[in-house]
Amino acid sequence: MGSDNKTSLREISTTITGKTRGAAMAAENVRVGYGEKIILSELSLEIRRGEITALVGPNGSGKSTLLKGMARLLKLHSGTVFLEGEELTKMANSEIARRLAVLPQAPTAPAGLTVGELVEQGRYPHAGPMRMLRKQDHEAIGRALELTGTLEFANRPLENLSGGERQRAWIALTLAQATPVLFLDEPTTFLDIGHQLEVLELVGQLNREQGMTIVMVLHDLNQAAQYAHRMVVLRKGSIVADGAPAEVMTGEVLEKVFNIKAHIVTDPASGRPVFLPYAVVKNEEVGRGQ
Amino acid sequence: MSLSTGVAPEKPFAEKIPANPLARRFLPLLVACLLAIVVLLILYIGLGTVSLSPGEVIAALVNQPVETFHRQIVWDLRFPRGLVAILVGAMLGLAGAILQTITRNPLASPDLTGVSAGAVLASVLGIAFIPPLAAGGPALPFVALAGGVVVGATVYFLSRQGRSDPLRLALNGILLGAILNSGSSIVLIFDQERAANIVLWLIGSLNGRVWSHFNTLWPWALVGIPLALGCAGLANTLNLGDDVATGLGQNVERARAGLFFIAVLLASSAVAIVGAIGFIGLIGPHISRRLVGDDARRLLPMSAVVTALLLLLSDFIVQAITKGSLPVGAITALLGAPFFLYLIFRRVKA
Ligand SMILES: Nc1ncnc2c1ncn2[C@@H]1O[C@H](COP(=O)(O)OP(=O)(O)OP(=O)(O)O)[C@@H](O)[C@H]1O
Ligand SMILES: [Mg+2]
Repeated sequence: MGSDNKTSLREISTTITGKTRGAAMAAENVRVGYGEKIILSELSLEIRRGEITALVGPNGSGKSTLLKGMARLLKLHSGTVFLEGEELTKMANSEIARRLAVLPQAPTAPAGLTVGELVEQGRYPHAGPMRMLRKQDHEAIGRALELTGTLEFANRPLENLSGGERQRAWIALTLAQATPVLFLDEPTTFLDIGHQLEVLELVGQLNREQGMTIVMVLHDLNQAAQYAHRMVVLRKGSIVADGAPAEVMTGEVLEKVFNIKAHIVTDPASGRPVFLPYAVVKNEEVGRGQ
Repeated sequence: MSLSTGVAPEKPFAEKIPANPLARRFLPLLVACLLAIVVLLILYIGLGTVSLSPGEVIAALVNQPVETFHRQIVWDLRFPRGLVAILVGAMLGLAGAILQTITRNPLASPDLTGVSAGAVLASVLGIAFIPPLAAGGPALPFVALAGGVVVGATVYFLSRQGRSDPLRLALNGILLGAILNSGSSIVLIFDQERAANIVLWLIGSLNGRVWSHFNTLWPWALVGIPLALGCAGLANTLNLGDDVATGLGQNVERARAGLFFIAVLLASSAVAIVGAIGFIGLIGPHISRRLVGDDARRLLPMSAVVTALLLLLSDFIVQAITKGSLPVGAITALLGAPFFLYLIFRRVKA
């Protein structure tokens, strides 16, 4: 059913604007890093509209760097990022914020800030003059809190929440932003398995019901294969595999990128691949960053 | 409703958000603090070699003095001094709250970012070497501001590497402040004549502050305080960290530089009038945080009134116990230093 949805959305998008060819975002020959240290060089990636794209790869492979580079949180050394065909650097920052929300890995907020106050910040790209919040803004805040199950602790300071509750509050912040494109860097860290699936279900729901384009970094390959339309595998700063989960989750990729040997089986319910690791590959170059 | 499903329309999401108790208690607390300031001011004016009862103070304030000389004591000496204390407190408190917010460092304050030290050094240099400034006057805040801005900007740019890092900012400020303060002390050697006076600048004192001082100060407060309160929302977003703030559409560098300048303006002009009164800009915002939380839209106004109250109270103590012989900066340091240690302790433990 996910793929039906995908094709229909892709058809719609191509008919709406031929110019962007269905790409919600595109990075072209992007070169980005920290100071002089280049992490990604000449990387290109198109994010198709209406799809869930999972970025996977070992620690330090450049997933967060790619996400931040595409979301203008890191300055590009060279290359261009397009949002719906428009060059990001030529857009006003607040205009970008109305169309692209991004949750960085491990964000921090002042300890005493309450969940409600945090989530409210998500509305400022939309707010009226003098940053006044209007009716629709409060509606969006309430909705974001409800969707993430954080309504009940809206008035609790962030410091008094568990890691998982706090993570959901941050997700609520990005949802309040109500953007068509959403970037999430490891949205399931700190969450127990139940809440992990809840977040992933929520991501799926936003994608199905609102056609939201979502790019997320995930460490659990099975979850990525289960919930994403497309998996992009990074290794040492370059894309080594890219495609539908069934194409990407192969023994070869797992061995080359993650240094493991695994059986790949197909989940009879979803038709998606599932891997069962059984060995670590030894005496070989490890697929990590520097 | 436009929902085609037969389900009854759901309650709007907005109505499900529970009211924020911190927001509910903000206004009552603010009003209570303002009232406390008024009451304390009346008691404060009554203190001195000639002590007046609250009734006598009010009578003199409304121009119906019980004894004619009361009018002079109240209007020419104690009332303006009290007003200077209130304004300076409000400005230092606001500056501290802003600096803590934009550096995301609970230990930041005008004195701990080097801004006060820069303003003092500039003022002291002006007083010692530029004859027209020797007696203070309306030009002094400009000189102090120049000092505060230069040091503030130096700290800011020293701490910048690609993007400014909050912790480096505070560390550089403390270091540079220490160097500048020794610079100010060296000026003493060249100006033995005014040494005693200049020492008061390093500690901060309200002694002899009258209308001329107040008149130099209030235009700065009139510009700085509304500007600061108006930028509370920006401060809130900035407080979520550079990445999140950028993601929310904020121009992080510009917002931080702007807020930094406002804080420096408030602190420098206050320092130009009374010297570097320490710790008050650290404690006031912390107490306010306990009272109304971390949201800058409440924290900033609350810090202004709480710190004003604190400084007035400190000077009240000075007047009541030492008959005004001790500079108020000595009291704030005496009370503030243990508090500072407590904050560091808590930070180390966390
Ligand atoms: N702020 C930084 N300054 C310098 N180097 C950095 C910085 N952040 C990341 N790096 C380096 O960039 C490389 C890629 O890091 P990145 O954060 O993109 O990895 P990642 O794939 O997200 O890893 P993880 O799964 O651990 O989050 C790593 O080698 C890392 O050490
Ligand atoms: Mg990462």
